[in-house]
Amino acid sequence: MKRSRCFPAALLAVTALSTFNAAAQEPPLIRFGRGFAAEEQVWLMSARPELTPNQGKKYQLKQILFQANPERFQAFLAGELDGGTAPGLAVIFARARGVDMKIVASVCLEAAGREWFSTTYMVKDDGPVRSAKDLKGGTVGVVGIKTATDLWARAGLLNGSVVPDKDAKIFPMGFPGMGDAVRTGKINAGTFVEPFYSAEMARGGLRKLFTAVEAVGYDHELLDIWFGEKFLKAHPDTVRAFLADYVAVTKYYLANTAQAKRDLHKAGFVRTPLEIYLKNADWKRDPAARVDVASLDKLSKFMLEKLQWLEKPVDVRQMVDESYLPRQ
Amino acid sequence: MSRLVPFVLIGAALAGWEIMARSGLWSPLLFPSLANIGYEFAQFFSRTDRLLEAWTSLHRALGGFALAATTGVVIGMLMGRSAFVAGLLDPLFSGTYAVPKLALFPIFIFAFGIGSLSKVALVFLECLYPIVIITCHGARGVDRVLLWSAQNMGAARGEILRRVVVPATVPFIFAGFRVALPVALIVVIMTEMVSSADGLGYQVIYALASLKTDRMLALVVVIALLGWLLDKALVVMRDRLVYWEKLETYYV
Repeated sequence: MKRSRCFPAALLAVTALSTFNAAAQEPPLIRFGRGFAAEEQVWLMSARPELTPNQGKKYQLKQILFQANPERFQAFLAGELDGGTAPGLAVIFARARGVDMKIVASVCLEAAGREWFSTTYMVKDDGPVRSAKDLKGGTVGVVGIKTATDLWARAGLLNGSVVPDKDAKIFPMGFPGMGDAVRTGKINAGTFVEPFYSAEMARGGLRKLFTAVEAVGYDHELLDIWFGEKFLKAHPDTVRAFLADYVAVTKYYLANTAQAKRDLHKAGFVRTPLEIYLKNADWKRDPAARVDVASLDKLSKFMLEKLQWLEKPVDVRQMVDESYLPRQ
Repeated sequence: MSRLVPFVLIGAALAGWEIMARSGLWSPLLFPSLANIGYEFAQFFSRTDRLLEAWTSLHRALGGFALAATTGVVIGMLMGRSAFVAGLLDPLFSGTYAVPKLALFPIFIFAFGIGSLSKVALVFLECLYPIVIITCHGARGVDRVLLWSAQNMGAARGEILRRVVVPATVPFIFAGFRVALPVALIVVIMTEMVSSADGLGYQVIYALASLKTDRMLALVVVIALLGWLLDKALVVMRDRLVYWEKLETYYV
């Protein structure tokens, strides 16, 4: 009788101990908030895990899709995310509001040059708008309020001495409807990113007014990787291992773009028809994932001084920490 | 004492919120204190431009609602009193009632433009359904004894409609209005959040994009207040017009 009582208790203790040991041996989980555009290297880390030797050994990666930045940051504030991707300007906003996060690596940049894609503002080909000046009294379609597309639109308007909100409306709408909205005159200019840019150019009837780089006047960070400061302090080696893999995947992506795109398409990260996706021009990506801090600094000053989007200056250099990236 | 009960519940909810905000467990960006929300609320009423945003939303909501009320009552009455009209329109209304009309908003933008008209049109469509269905139910359920009595007394068809059917249906019409009016406000705020450069919905999304949760919540309170005021106004109007039936019968 005594033996029969002891046996289940012993079994329970052994099971509990082995579970505890297994949990203790498991590498830390990174809960990573991702977006749905221009983050190919990040997606590739989940689509092709064999390219990331540290994954599963030094960290586990769980990517969670978010449609917009505020929701991503709210999830972070609620303790549901450890890090993620976000436009540099969104992190500037978040830092200005006291969110404890840091940019640790670059994903892609808006850069001038024929070999890179830069977000393009287009107007009706046979319409009266020839320059940003002609947008006075008009409407510019952007994908969201206080997003990068909003910033570039405002910068472009200001270049033509058109005061946003006063002389011209900024109107949020989805990328898919932007082309027809411009063609039918519902809006006077629209924001186009790939693959919509290529699709609309193929349809014809639209022409470029300015690009994001032309609007602000310099190459600048588009998307970055950020982590919460608490997570960075608690798991520095985990972040280093993650970024080592990330840089390796970035280099692989740049060297094997077509194959990587095929893999991402197959894994369901991209829904654009494959033949169009393969032809699309890509954003500039730094192979070492280094952050163009000076461009973020310029953007934050523009947001503060010209757009009044910030109530006080943000110390961009305090916001970026590249020490977790592999040494070059 | 019973009048105080709802306020006790609201007070408890506010106290619960403040405890969470002050607990330090969550970021103030997620749970701002009532003082911050109150400050933003006061700011809203001190600025003319923000009051104008409220007016923009209100006139869109009321415009769409008024159109739906006029059209919906006529259609509902016809469906309730005519087997032919009911046979014609009932499959259309019952078949499309559950469709989330907001999904049609991009089409509305292309049909009616990016301004107020597309939003008013969507409000009209969303409000039309409850008004038509509840009015139809009321018109169909008029007591037969009343109709027979009127006929026996020699009343003409038009007179029966005017003096029996309409008065018997009015409480249902107002019930439809009470369902549709908050829907109008919800739809207009949602359309402004999706695609607009003005209105309260735009202000909500602007505050959210700026990570100003306190301002966003203050706007939510303003919207709730507007909805409450509109409903109260409707109830006052109903009690004046339908003086023979107490509103309490709604809740039985």
